[in-house]
Amino acid sequence: MMIVSALCLALAIAAPQETVRRIAIDERLAADAGLHVGDRVLLSAAPGDSGQVAMIGAIVRRSADPAEIARGEYKIRLHLTQLQELLGYGDRVDRFAVATTSDAVIGDAEARINSAAFGFRAHRSRDIAVQTSATFAVVSRFHRAIGVITIVASAIFLLCIMLLKVDERRRDVAALRLMGISAATIVRGVVLEAAGIAVAGSFVGVGIGVITSWLVNLHYQNVYRTPLRFSIVTGDIMLGAVSLSLVLGLVAGWLAARRLVGTAPLALFGR
Amino acid sequence: MLFTLAAASLIRHRARTVLAVLGVAVSAAMLLDMVMLSSGMRVSFRTLLQSQGFQLRLSPKGTLPFDTEATIREGDSLVAMLEGRPEILAVSPVFGGQLHISTSRGIVASSALGVIPAVEGDYELTEGRQPSAPDEMVANDALLGAAGMRIGDTVHAGSGYDSQLRSLAGARTLRIVGRVRFVYMARAQKGAALPIVTFRAMQGRDSDGRISLAMVRLALGVDAEAERATLERLFPRVTVISIASALKGVDERLIYFTQIAVILGAVSLVVGFLLVTTLVTVSVNERIGEIAVMRAIGVRRWRIVAQIVLESSAMMIVASPLGFVLGLVTARYLNSILANFPGLPERIDFFLLQPSAAWTSLGLLAVSGVLAGVYPSWRSASLPIATTLRQEAVG
Repeated sequence: MMIVSALCLALAIAAPQETVRRIAIDERLAADAGLHVGDRVLLSAAPGDSGQVAMIGAIVRRSADPAEIARGEYKIRLHLTQLQELLGYGDRVDRFAVATTSDAVIGDAEARINSAAFGFRAHRSRDIAVQTSATFAVVSRFHRAIGVITIVASAIFLLCIMLLKVDERRRDVAALRLMGISAATIVRGVVLEAAGIAVAGSFVGVGIGVITSWLVNLHYQNVYRTPLRFSIVTGDIMLGAVSLSLVLGLVAGWLAARRLVGTAPLALFGR
Repeated sequence: MLFTLAAASLIRHRARTVLAVLGVAVSAAMLLDMVMLSSGMRVSFRTLLQSQGFQLRLSPKGTLPFDTEATIREGDSLVAMLEGRPEILAVSPVFGGQLHISTSRGIVASSALGVIPAVEGDYELTEGRQPSAPDEMVANDALLGAAGMRIGDTVHAGSGYDSQLRSLAGARTLRIVGRVRFVYMARAQKGAALPIVTFRAMQGRDSDGRISLAMVRLALGVDAEAERATLERLFPRVTVISIASALKGVDERLIYFTQIAVILGAVSLVVGFLLVTTLVTVSVNERIGEIAVMRAIGVRRWRIVAQIVLESSAMMIVASPLGFVLGLVTARYLNSILANFPGLPERIDFFLLQPSAAWTSLGLLAVSGVLAGVYPSWRSASLPIATTLRQEAVG
């Protein structure tokens, strides 16, 4: 599909002209239509219109825009007057971008434009970015919800493993108790061991996460043909994962150890 | 006997069994959700497309319906040619655009469809009647609410609004005669429909004969794919979309969700399987001596294997109903999140419970439950009896 907003792009090898204006096209369009810098194309507002000939002056990389991700659109960039002429827009424009001298004056500039200009509305770029990223905001909420379910499942899994791990130490613990080692010392030892296992496991998990993240980016950047990064493993995320594992490991170890020291040593021996 | 021994073994380690059941339930819930996600949106979308009885849709070349503002020129003659084909039962042309309504609260902008009310397939009437005169329109709840209007009200509306002059372009006085629910519009999207002739006239001369989309209802027994190919050949300036090709397009756009469903579903299954395998393995290792004694007194190997497989299957079976309920609750919640996708038709569900989804999840769980028990039980039942008994006795 060749969709560029309301503009339909008709591609054809056109006859040479004297004053041909240059346009930029995105790499996806260039790849799909087999276009190169210097090629001439016919642009028209609708299929079959006479249109005008333009030369491809540049092939640009697509921006990492979440709003475009699920749309198979192509993009071309024209000179403003060229597009206005093509669409019969006169001197109309859809929007202006205004650069301020500093961030501090953005609010003031926005208020002044909105109060002074009749029929216009100024919006902060940040607000527009939030609106256009609505799709990804939804996906992000979905991921968070899935993440919570995964954490619950992981917590139960970890608790089970810790319980089994400590249960395996029944005889050792019984021997230690019979030797006169206090219950508190045994609990501390078991909890420390659980914490060690949890931290070691979480480091392996972080490694798997980093590799998975790289594979996810590689796959979806290829599927959607975008430089957008779908998965990012940040320091905060790694710290969160290790901390969560540590807390879960400590809790699971403590629960299992308490259960173990609460049982008579001879019973632990199976006598 | 077999059941009693299996139950006794599970009850002996209550905490372990409860945790395993909980873990499997969460995995089962996730698995059910992912099976629902992988097929739900496709089924939901197909149901939506089929709901109005139109099998083919014609849009400007290279576009999906209403994906751009592009229109089909000489759409009326295209519709006439389509209606002349014996394979075609009805054609519903649609011209899309914006409607700006002047209200006491200011200008309210809305999506609008120009339709032929007798053959339209874009909305369902919930109150009032279809427009029968050129100056009549119908609107959905979102628009009526935003504009503070009711059926019977007369409104001043235009196809455009010049914010500098504060004037409506193509202004008309229209009467609201019905309340409708649009089939393909997003949740909370304001929408109106009016006769196509009126809406075109409001857009100006340039819109004469133009349509954004034509929906085609085929005669009984006509092959939609064959007719699609024929129409594309006959009308090279339009794209003809059948339900199958629309579903293909949806698959391409929503491939992310299908893939994430498959990946997370597989991970859930593996996690549930690993959990049960680990527990059964540990449980079996603890009972090696017991198993050796059973073998020594003549209990057959397959009975021991069956008992242990029964234990692992019991955990899966007990966890399944819990997981099913948990899965339905989480699916509802996850669906409510994805329902906020910009532009998604209100009637599309990402998580759709179908009997096949429930049976697939249950089947996968049952198989993994059996497999989780087979290896550890077979290994323990195959140990040399005398050596094992000696080792267990000596300690």
